[in-house]
Amino acid sequence: MSLSEKLMEELVSKTAFTIPLFGGIPVQESVVVTWGIMAFVILLCLIFVRNLKLVPTRKQACIETAVGGVYRFFHGILGDEGKGYIPYLATVGIYLGLSNLSGLVGLTPPTKDINVTAGLAVMSIVLIEYSGIRKKGFKGFIKSFTEPVPFIAPLNVLEVFIRPLSLCMRLFGNILGGFVIMELLKIVAPILVPIPFSFYFDVFDGLIQMYVFVFLTAIFMKELMD
Amino acid sequence: MSLVALGAGIAVLSGIGAGIGIGIATSGATDAIARQPEATGEINKTLLLGCALAESTAIYGLVVAIIIMFVL
Repeated sequence: MSLSEKLMEELVSKTAFTIPLFGGIPVQESVVVTWGIMAFVILLCLIFVRNLKLVPTRKQACIETAVGGVYRFFHGILGDEGKGYIPYLATVGIYLGLSNLSGLVGLTPPTKDINVTAGLAVMSIVLIEYSGIRKKGFKGFIKSFTEPVPFIAPLNVLEVFIRPLSLCMRLFGNILGGFVIMELLKIVAPILVPIPFSFYFDVFDGLIQMYVFVFLTAIFMKELMD
Repeated sequence: MSLVALGAGIAVLSGIGAGIGIGIATSGATDAIARQPEATGEINKTLLLGCALAESTAIYGLVVAIIIMFVL
C-alpha cells in the first residue's frame, strides 16, 4: 500500500511556492525548473557567443559545426521556404533536450507536467497552420482541406486537433512512463540497479523524444507547405 | 479498487499492438540496410518516425490507464 501511495505522490505535479498576490497564485515546480533551464541556456549563450572571430577558435568551431548540423538537418526537411522556422524549432529542441535530461541532476523534468507539453503542442500547431497560411494564402489554405478528394475534408479538419493532442500526449506519456518506472526501480532496488535503466529512460528516451517532437513538427509544416 | 486496477491493466494492453508494429518496422529497416547500406541515414530517419507514430497508441493506452487510476 505504501508503494502505491508513494507512486501517486510522484505523479501529481507539485506546487513549488505561492505568490502572495490576489489571494495567492500557485507556481508549479515545472515552472521553477523551466526558469532554471532558461538561466542555464542564457549562461551558455553568453559564454559561447562572446567575442566571436572571423577565423574561428576551437570553441567557436565546435559551436559552428553544431549549429551548421542543426541547420542542415532542418533544411533537408523544410527546404528553402521554411528557413525562417529553423531557429524556433532548434530552440524548442534545446529546451526539450535539457528538460528531459534534467532528471539526471535530480530535478523533476518539466515535461512530466502535462501543462508544459500541452503548451508546447499548442505553440507547434499554431506555427504549423501559420506556415501553411503564409505559403498558400488564406484561400489556398482553406482549399487545402479538400485535397486530395473533397469528402475527406472532415478528416482533415479533425487532424488539426489530433496532431497537437498526439504531440502533447506522446511527449508527456513517454517522460511520465520513464519517470514512473525509474521511481519504482528506486523503491525496489535503490543501489546500482537503476544505473543502466537510467541511461535508457533518462538519456536515450529523453533525447529520442526531443528529436521526435521537433522532427514531427517540421514534417507537418512541410506537409502543409507543399 | 481491484476492478479499477483491472481496467487500467486492460487499457495498457494497447502496448501489444505498438510492440508488434515497431518489431515489424525494425525488421524491415534491418532488411533494407542490409540490402542498401548507403541509404542508412534515410532509413533511420523514416524508421524513427514510424516508431514514434506506432508508439503513440501504446502511449494513449498508458494515459488512459493513468486517467482511470486517478479519476475512478
